[in-house]
Amino acid sequence: MLLVPCPHCGPMNAGDLTYNGESHRRPDPKTCTPEEWRTYLYLRENPSGWLLENWYCSSGCRKHFKIERHTFTGELRAPVLPGRKPGATQGDMK
Amino acid sequence: MVEITQLDSMPKASVRAADGTAAAAALGLDFGSSEQRDDTLVVRIRPDEWYLLGDGAPAMAAGLDLSGFASTVDTSHSRTAVRITGDRAADTLAKLGSADFSDHMTPNGASMGIGIAGVTCDIVRDDQHGVRSYLLLLDGSFVTYFLGVLHDAASEF
Repeated sequence: MLLVPCPHCGPMNAGDLTYNGESHRRPDPKTCTPEEWRTYLYLRENPSGWLLENWYCSSGCRKHFKIERHTFTGELRAPVLPGRKPGATQGDMK
Repeated sequence: MVEITQLDSMPKASVRAADGTAAAAALGLDFGSSEQRDDTLVVRIRPDEWYLLGDGAPAMAAGLDLSGFASTVDTSHSRTAVRITGDRAADTLAKLGSADFSDHMTPNGASMGIGIAGVTCDIVRDDQHGVRSYLLLLDGSFVTYFLGVLHDAASEF
């Protein structure tokens, strides 16, 4: 069982949350090029290492948050609510 | 022994209120806790959401100052309440969900949202006369399945 530390609820079974994929910034659709938009829509980094991801606490507090997950070891750290920098208000909760 | 009861007629209201609003100040409580106020159980189930449960819920919801980002919804008929009471109630729920139901993590008055048998539930520990008891709130359309699963899980106790 993967325990995901929600910033509000604490460690939660990953089955009680919804995984929303890699976190990446949306380019401005008014100014970006078609290539930038295509990259935003379809291309992901998929690293073997730390990756910033979006999760949704669907059973608990019903808040979206970001968290860093190591894609090789499965470690999780620094959950953060939207609009805040990772580690700014939350310690390492792995 | 475990007793499972469906509470069809319990009035329920949901209150959404942002920090700093009059409604949030009036309801208070820490996230994940609850408090009995007269004939209404007030539950802060999420950082910005409260449940009002019991006969006094409609009046309490109607009496809130909803200025700012605050609103109420009567959920009496959309959400079903199921109460599970008994010394082995926690053992029954532990078979179906991944929360820690020990006294240390979820003392009387604690509330949480988790999946029980695949159904998203809001759970309030609301002991009855000193006997361990949990109030489970779930979407009404799942209740037939949910009661069946609960009875199966409780049968060994």
